[in-house]
Amino acid sequence: MKPITPLLVSLALFVGLFGCAADSDSAAPGSSTGVGGSLARFTILGDFLYTVDNTRLVTFDISDPLAPEQVSAINVTLGVETIFPLKDHLLLGTQRGMFIYRVGPDGQPLYVSNYQHVVSCDPVVANDTFAYVTLRVSECRDAGVGAANTLDVIDIRNIESPQLVNQLPMDGPYGLGLDGELLFVCLGVNGLQVFTLEDPSTPVELKRFEGINAVDVIPLEGTLLVVGPEALLQLDYSDMDDIKVISEMSIGS
Amino acid sequence: MKTRSPLSIAALFLLLSTFSCTNSPLREIPDEVVGLAPVYAADGEWDDISSEGPRAIEQLNKIYYKDSLIFVGEANQGVHIVDNHDPANPERIGFIALPGNSDIAIKGDVLYANNLTDLVAIDISNLDEVTVLSRVSDAFPNAGQEVPANYIGYFECPDPELGSVIGWVETTLKKPQCWQE
Repeated sequence: MKPITPLLVSLALFVGLFGCAADSDSAAPGSSTGVGGSLARFTILGDFLYTVDNTRLVTFDISDPLAPEQVSAINVTLGVETIFPLKDHLLLGTQRGMFIYRVGPDGQPLYVSNYQHVVSCDPVVANDTFAYVTLRVSECRDAGVGAANTLDVIDIRNIESPQLVNQLPMDGPYGLGLDGELLFVCLGVNGLQVFTLEDPSTPVELKRFEGINAVDVIPLEGTLLVVGPEALLQLDYSDMDDIKVISEMSIGS
Repeated sequence: MKTRSPLSIAALFLLLSTFSCTNSPLREIPDEVVGLAPVYAADGEWDDISSEGPRAIEQLNKIYYKDSLIFVGEANQGVHIVDNHDPANPERIGFIALPGNSDIAIKGDVLYANNLTDLVAIDISNLDEVTVLSRVSDAFPNAGQEVPANYIGYFECPDPELGSVIGWVETTLKKPQCWQE
């Protein structure tokens, strides 16, 4: 029976690691959650709703939708802008850097670590091993001296100690989205950039769409929702060598 | 003809001295930045939440996706519902009027949203007739103040002629003239 033990251990580890993520899949209708963009300020993990507002991370117990209850409010730092759920972790994009919290069994977020940078605007997305953060100084309040427009790649395999492993210059990046080996980065009026992540620490540009005002994206297994001030676009990326716009819903229509 | 009263001039000076660039006169106003904009009482009953027919999108805010529906934020006003079963032909099928809204998240049939200062839970199982299940008052204190309390950053200067400020919502500002440090 020897071989079974490691299997059981890894199974238990798998369930432990990914149990929370199952909540966000559509496997269980009635209790499943949807998906927001990288600029979202609300996210749901299990029975808890997490919101960020400028300086705070607030936790609501939503186990009973008839009586949601605020259970905590944590002062994080100034300029908290976005929240991204990664299994049982919350990655907060702030103007001072990425702050990581772990959600305990009671739903309460506990501070784990942060990756600090000069003041700029920076949403974040991540997978198990790397976090991708865009830093934007143009049209960003209080951007610090020396701040630049970049895409930062941060190794989070040791989540207690995030490490910057790569930094790419960008044209004023906004929101971003991650699906497997594809990374989509919005560039505002400068368009939308698509990177491949064969080497996840070194994004390589695959395609760039000009003439799109892109602020945030949601990748949906082959369809990319792109939102900007002028239109809601959808791109088909099921064939990564032939990514194309398939629909556009414009302002006023 | 309408003239500026000494009172409004005094109020203007107060406003300028409180929120403007007294500390850093060389501050560069950004062309576009995320900040807060006031919501005025004149806008009507701010806690009325209801289903309405589809309407044109005027000011695109954030989007949220669930079960082939795209929820498209209309800044400060509510959420458009877009049927996206065919991504090549998305169709607006309704609108949830949600004054002062900036963010949402959905679990099951319950949509959680900010309605100005409050957190509301809304049953969306029937999109033609959504119902408010519960409300947590003052969950978001940055909204609902004459100036955004405990807020560091840019905001749109309130215009007293538009009514009293009942809340603040996050939006994209063009060349904002007010901020707090």
